[in-house]
Amino acid sequence: MPAVQETIDRVRKIDVDQYKYGFQTEIEMDKAPKGLSEDIIRFISAKKDEPDWMLEWRLEAYRRWLTLEEPTWARVHYPKIDFQDIYYYAAPKSTPGPKSLSEVDPELLKVYEKLGIPLKEQEILAGVQKTDAASEDEEISDNVYKSGRVAVDAVFDSVSVVTTFKEELAKAGVIFCSISEAIREHPELVKKYLGSVVPTSDNFYATLNSAVFTDGSFVFVPKGVRCPMELSTYFRINEKNTGQFERTLIIAEEGAYVSYLEGCTAPQRDENQLHAAVVELVALDDAEIKYSTVQNWYPGDAEGKGGIYNFVTKRGDCRGDRSKISWTQVETGSAITWKYPSCILRGDDSSGEFYSIAVSNGYQQVDSGTKMIHLGKNTSSRIISKGIAAGFSQNTYRGQVSAHRKAANARNFTNCDSLLIGDQCGAHTVPYMEAKNATAKFEHEATTSKISEDQKFYVMQRGIPEEEAIALIVNGFVKDVIQQLPMEFAVEAQKLIGISLEGSVG
Amino acid sequence: MNMHAQPQRTLAETALIDAFGERLSLLPGDGAVMVKRDDAIEAIKHGLPTRRVESWHYTDLRRLLTKVPAFEAGAVAKALAPVLEGSAVLPVLNGVSSAKLPEIDGVTVQRLSEKLTDGSVAPGLDPYGDDDAIGALNTAFVADGYFVDIADGTELEKPIELQNLQAGGQSHVRLLARVGAGAKAIILERQTGEGDEAFVSSVSQLVVGDGAEVTWLIVQEQPETATHLAQFKAHIGKDAKLTLFVMNAGGKLVRQEVVVRTTGEGADFKLRGINLLAGDTHTDTTMVLDHAVPHTTSTEVIRNVVTGKARGVFQGRINVHQYAQKTNAKMACNTLLLSDDGEFSTKPELEIFADDVVCGHGATVTEIDHNHLFYLMARGIDEKSARGLLVKAFVAEVIEELDDEALVEALEARLDGWFSTHG
Repeated sequence: MPAVQETIDRVRKIDVDQYKYGFQTEIEMDKAPKGLSEDIIRFISAKKDEPDWMLEWRLEAYRRWLTLEEPTWARVHYPKIDFQDIYYYAAPKSTPGPKSLSEVDPELLKVYEKLGIPLKEQEILAGVQKTDAASEDEEISDNVYKSGRVAVDAVFDSVSVVTTFKEELAKAGVIFCSISEAIREHPELVKKYLGSVVPTSDNFYATLNSAVFTDGSFVFVPKGVRCPMELSTYFRINEKNTGQFERTLIIAEEGAYVSYLEGCTAPQRDENQLHAAVVELVALDDAEIKYSTVQNWYPGDAEGKGGIYNFVTKRGDCRGDRSKISWTQVETGSAITWKYPSCILRGDDSSGEFYSIAVSNGYQQVDSGTKMIHLGKNTSSRIISKGIAAGFSQNTYRGQVSAHRKAANARNFTNCDSLLIGDQCGAHTVPYMEAKNATAKFEHEATTSKISEDQKFYVMQRGIPEEEAIALIVNGFVKDVIQQLPMEFAVEAQKLIGISLEGSVG
Repeated sequence: MNMHAQPQRTLAETALIDAFGERLSLLPGDGAVMVKRDDAIEAIKHGLPTRRVESWHYTDLRRLLTKVPAFEAGAVAKALAPVLEGSAVLPVLNGVSSAKLPEIDGVTVQRLSEKLTDGSVAPGLDPYGDDDAIGALNTAFVADGYFVDIADGTELEKPIELQNLQAGGQSHVRLLARVGAGAKAIILERQTGEGDEAFVSSVSQLVVGDGAEVTWLIVQEQPETATHLAQFKAHIGKDAKLTLFVMNAGGKLVRQEVVVRTTGEGADFKLRGINLLAGDTHTDTTMVLDHAVPHTTSTEVIRNVVTGKARGVFQGRINVHQYAQKTNAKMACNTLLLSDDGEFSTKPELEIFADDVVCGHGATVTEIDHNHLFYLMARGIDEKSARGLLVKAFVAEVIEELDDEALVEALEARLDGWFSTHG
């Protein structure tokens, strides 16, 4: 079959060098022994200086986890994971704070450079200590992104390296720090909200995460505060055989607003690495949380070797009336993605949104979607999902919309479109709709097709080469979602889609 | 059937296994058939499917099937006048076919018990997958039914009506039909009865030959205490057309599976379904459609009306195989949820492995459009009648598409019948 050969050639072209974040960094690491046991959990907890209640919480989750079985319902296939062959804790060795950039481990600086973080920002990220507190403030306010200000929390393997703009955020009353710090500094808030959206017993991976999570971000926006800048976290898995288990907790009190971005990369390795994160969002009355992700973990090489297993539990709880949670995700990386950012619409008049682009190429497997659980009255939700499958990949949308008995006037609109590039890939749509209230109004539509020859012809006729024409059409296809991303990410996301599809079209 | 170890058998599971032991000596079949029966009951011994089995997610058979009545040898059902006037009627009364077979030109009719005894139907008895509980149940217990063979090129003048009528107890029936190349036929499958707490399994298997045109209608009007587990399986040949119409308007626990495969290029499949749900029925329509060859088309339209405490389910999966390029498949499932105690769950799935295809599905769940209601009421029609008109129009639309006056009239009469008792 010449057509098959052609596709194979095309896929071959997507070599590893197209994963531009594939570098790895030689940094002295502080690691716990491989494997998982109560001792390792005690070790992690001790490393983090955690209070006893936290250790108990973790141990309880661990004991629960031992009784659970790995879920098998998703359309993803992978060899059984040996949970004893993973490092559950790896941290860059910390030395007392460096005095200037020249004292910072140059390898760490290179990482930030490659991640495209501006130099001055790097200084802060590396934790350079200023002698003069006043000049520090000045430095920071100078040090803004051209397009707007973004506070960054960088998580390197198991620990948060540094968080920027803390001071300025604190002035507005916003707490933005690593979750470890929050456990120490704000135990009352953590105790109140941690596990309240994703309970420790929620699912296999969330339970594992509850037992061994090492770091992540914590955001608290108090009543009536509109967070003055975008908050952002960069996650990076660096060490070999390391699992990354981060935990993010975002709380927006009455009337608060926060927009949070998350970016992920990892080096190229032949082994598969595990990433099992939990993200919990809580929105009280009139609060709004916007959560955007650009996920670009290493997807594995052209033969499907290596890559990140991305098993993530993300859930937002619209606890208050008129609250709103919006998820936007651009998924281009990971060998396997298993991720369903959800909204529990508990408050009356609350609303949830989910915008997603999932691009899969090579041997990637994506099983992603959302859940919108309508519990309160007059709740509304909107789902826009765009899946693009190329190469030998499998791309599945799996989503659930349900209206409970008391969810009067629940309203949902779902649209999921899939685009297929090549005849060796698959695109699947598995929506679940459950209505238990007569006043609920649910609409769902899905389409699957390839790029129309007419459109391609039209664009090419105007002198645009085929590959660019397809990129243009694909970007048009995902426009609805890209528009939801904050500016900085929108540009990055568009480029990322281009890179992910390179060589797969034609 | 179920991967998870079941701690304890339910009453229904025990009843089924015991019934098999008692019935075994009475069941027709040669060695090959008996082996299939044994395999099938083994599958049931592993437990009925629960909601953890994906295809049974919304119909947890293990939990919902609380009891299975015993066989009632003395029960007598009576043949009914056909839905379509002038039809040739083939009745199965409480699981037993009639010895008096009608003579129809170009059609050979045989009793299934004979085909089981000589073993000629053994190859078709296999369930189609690990999760095919209905296929397994039926294979284990099936005792009778019909085999209808329509010769190549025959154009049937009169419809054939296959009646599966129960009068309580258990009945397990299989209806096989082959429509030869270029033949044309209208076949109606009627599932009803008058017995209390009946347990019915019925499997229909149809092969549509190249260039043939078949309209197959399933009219299910079981009494509201009956458990009705049914399956319709079909293969559609080259340039052949199959229109399947399903009307569910009765039963307590109902599952109608539709398993269709296009096997020849140019094959076309249409599914039109109406689920009229009242009382505390649980009615599940599950379709698995395989587009296995290039250049085939399908459209599916399902309309549901949910009242009272009824629970409705529609699952529809369209699989487009890797070489099935140029597939055109569309599916729509619309539901009117008319009561706060009712519920409807739907899962329209697309599984697509070919790239040059156009596939889509749409699903809605909603109440009656208030603008429409207002329009009618502004013209002096009282609310109740206005609602009735709108609901009826919503489902009648599907019937009108059938494009055969006699058919449309007969089905609308059934619809009126349902609305007059449940409207």
